[in-house]
Amino acid sequence: MAIPLKYNLRNLLVRKVSTGMTVFVICLVVTVFLFVLSLWQGVTRTLTVNASERNVLTMRVGSQAEMQSVVTRDSADLIRALPGIERSAAGQPLVSPELLILINIPRLDGKSTNVQVRGIAPIGMEMRPGVTIVEGRMFRPGTNDAIVSKVLPSRFANVRLGDTLKMGSYRWTIVGLFDASGSAYESEIWTDVADLQAQAKRQIYSAVFVRAADPDSARRYIEAVKGDQRLKLEGKTEKTYYEEQMVTGEPIKYIAILVGIFTAIGASFGAMNTMYAQVSARIREIGTLRAIGFSRRSVLASFVLESLMLCLAGGVLGTALAYVLFNLIITAPTGTMNFRTFSEVLFNFRLTPPLILGGLAFSLAMGLFGGFFPAARAARLKITTALREV
Amino acid sequence: MKYLRLIWKNVFRKKIRMFLTTGSIVLVLVLIVVLVSLLNAMEADPSGGRGANRLVVQHATGLATFLPLSQRQRIAQIPGVVAVTPEIWFGGVYKDEKPENWFGQLSADPEIFFKVFDDATVDPAVEATWRAERNSFVAGKSLEEKFGWKPGDHIILKGTYIPVNLDLVYRGSYHAGDESNIFFHNEYLNQAQWFGANRMTGIYYLKVASGEDLPRVTAAIDRMFENSDAPTKTMTEKQFQQSFMEMMGNVKGLIRWISLIILFAVTLIVANTVAMSARERVTEIAVMRTLGFRRTHILSFILSESVLMSLLGGIFGILLAKFLLIPLIVAGGAKTALSVFLINFKVTPEIFLGAFLISVGIGVLAGFVPAIRSSQIRIVDGLRQVV
Repeated sequence: MAIPLKYNLRNLLVRKVSTGMTVFVICLVVTVFLFVLSLWQGVTRTLTVNASERNVLTMRVGSQAEMQSVVTRDSADLIRALPGIERSAAGQPLVSPELLILINIPRLDGKSTNVQVRGIAPIGMEMRPGVTIVEGRMFRPGTNDAIVSKVLPSRFANVRLGDTLKMGSYRWTIVGLFDASGSAYESEIWTDVADLQAQAKRQIYSAVFVRAADPDSARRYIEAVKGDQRLKLEGKTEKTYYEEQMVTGEPIKYIAILVGIFTAIGASFGAMNTMYAQVSARIREIGTLRAIGFSRRSVLASFVLESLMLCLAGGVLGTALAYVLFNLIITAPTGTMNFRTFSEVLFNFRLTPPLILGGLAFSLAMGLFGGFFPAARAARLKITTALREV
Repeated sequence: MKYLRLIWKNVFRKKIRMFLTTGSIVLVLVLIVVLVSLLNAMEADPSGGRGANRLVVQHATGLATFLPLSQRQRIAQIPGVVAVTPEIWFGGVYKDEKPENWFGQLSADPEIFFKVFDDATVDPAVEATWRAERNSFVAGKSLEEKFGWKPGDHIILKGTYIPVNLDLVYRGSYHAGDESNIFFHNEYLNQAQWFGANRMTGIYYLKVASGEDLPRVTAAIDRMFENSDAPTKTMTEKQFQQSFMEMMGNVKGLIRWISLIILFAVTLIVANTVAMSARERVTEIAVMRTLGFRRTHILSFILSESVLMSLLGGIFGILLAKFLLIPLIVAGGAKTALSVFLINFKVTPEIFLGAFLISVGIGVLAGFVPAIRSSQIRIVDGLRQVV
């Protein structure tokens, strides 16, 4: 027969200070763990959200990022005739030759960082349904207007609506803010490709962005690019392209693992201490329980359960703390360097349901590890010696 | 001092508890040492201040734009400039695209290079061969060890933004604070007919005679090209390196916060242990008081126990970190995306000293409240209590 849970619950409540401190430690450890994991999740989401299998980037063979690629005007013209490309309502092929440049601009905190400026063909906007203008208007070709992501003004100087952004010989007027549903585009500045070519004094493109009717046509298009000997280019779906950039989040992932392992063992040592103290303070109680007929196994289960309850309370609190932290306190996007593009990628902390479950499982693991050995000691006690204990 | 034995006995009274508490201190200290050293590898000036007289000139809009080579002559003529070499960041792929095979690949002028990069020590024979052979390269000692290169080995670098492939021959290593790069000839890159061959460079790397010349030379270079097609941004080597780390964004700040929270958590663990052990000894403390020990005695006993326990944790933590865990983590990390930061990863004695002081701090903070509470116990209450 099992010892009622109420017994454990009351025991935990009676030793308020000790229980409270252990719960708090587990809570902090879970919060820190979730903190690092949500950071990683945030980067991952930014690079995967909205990445479509229908959109194909055409770049020079071997380029890891759009920035590194060069596509000539002639190649860009040849691409228009390739199969698999969808046409707009007006009958135009959905092809946007784009130029990317990297500029180093000041952040609001006084430091500076690299940001990508993307020149797109006017039709490029239509090809990205996830991107919409939320304030101001679209840029007009020929005027050096630019639109920026709506999160940029909270991190960089001189990119608010109406501002003029100057960098070296470049100059843009910010006329609109766009929302890119949290994708990597939210770290960028967009302008007209011909304007950007003129400002950068470059007659080439970085990549040609193509929209296909469906994933199958996209594959057909990629094959066609590969087969065309004149081009020396390769096609990659947006999805593949951004998946390759996930290395950006890798260091964070390893830091999460490192922090997770060390703090988990450290905190379960703390829980184990508490449980050992509980067992030795309750030896007579344990003897009594055994004397009235509870088996060794019930005692073992009871103490393990008590430890699990203790740590789960910490886990729930820690998850709640992380939730409050990410949803109410840290709302501004944070940024890190994308190693492939050498520019800053902005993202938000993401506390996803799997992470919440992970945090709770993490606390239960600490409870199991921390509770098992003390429980085993309790279960091994001889009834006679236990009852004799003062 | 005469009470040391008593304190020592009390610390070891419950062996498992002692082991678990010091164990958690050990783990946390090792973690903090690793995190702080990672932060250092990310942000410190690897030359240790010896590169203070070096400047880096890049395009005003950022590293991604090339500078015309014609600027070299004009920079070299500025009074105070000792030596200047153009450098190009090649950014090629070695072996495969895995992050652990990433390292800095730069081309330079071998005649000038070690005059500028003068905190590096290099075998004169190695330098001479490197200068003489156009397709050779030198690498930082840590990189040599990491990849197991031997003089005469060939490596292939696949170009990314510069679309040429390089076949380079290893000639030897250099020692320096920053050993995360390889250097090859500008001429070799030019020979490969890249699009900027003999016309463009990525940056200029230069040395000025003394620290006093820095502001003047910096201003002179930027003013000289201000209205040209290629305006420049000149900064000290340290600022240049920091500009990369600034791009890492908030990651640094986050690691700091994490370290603080973890330290707080371990202090709570220790405090809880000390409090538990003090609570179990209430009767004993009352007896000691009746024997004539004062409140201050009890206070200092409990506090010393806490500090002693943390100190032991600190000492074991540092020993374990230095000889076992950190080498393990570094070896394990070399195969992951963290490897980029591990090349210049060094745990300095200062960090260990810091960890040691932190362990003392944990002991004091954690023992404070339980010590005061134990010393406040009234003898009658203590004797009456049955635990």
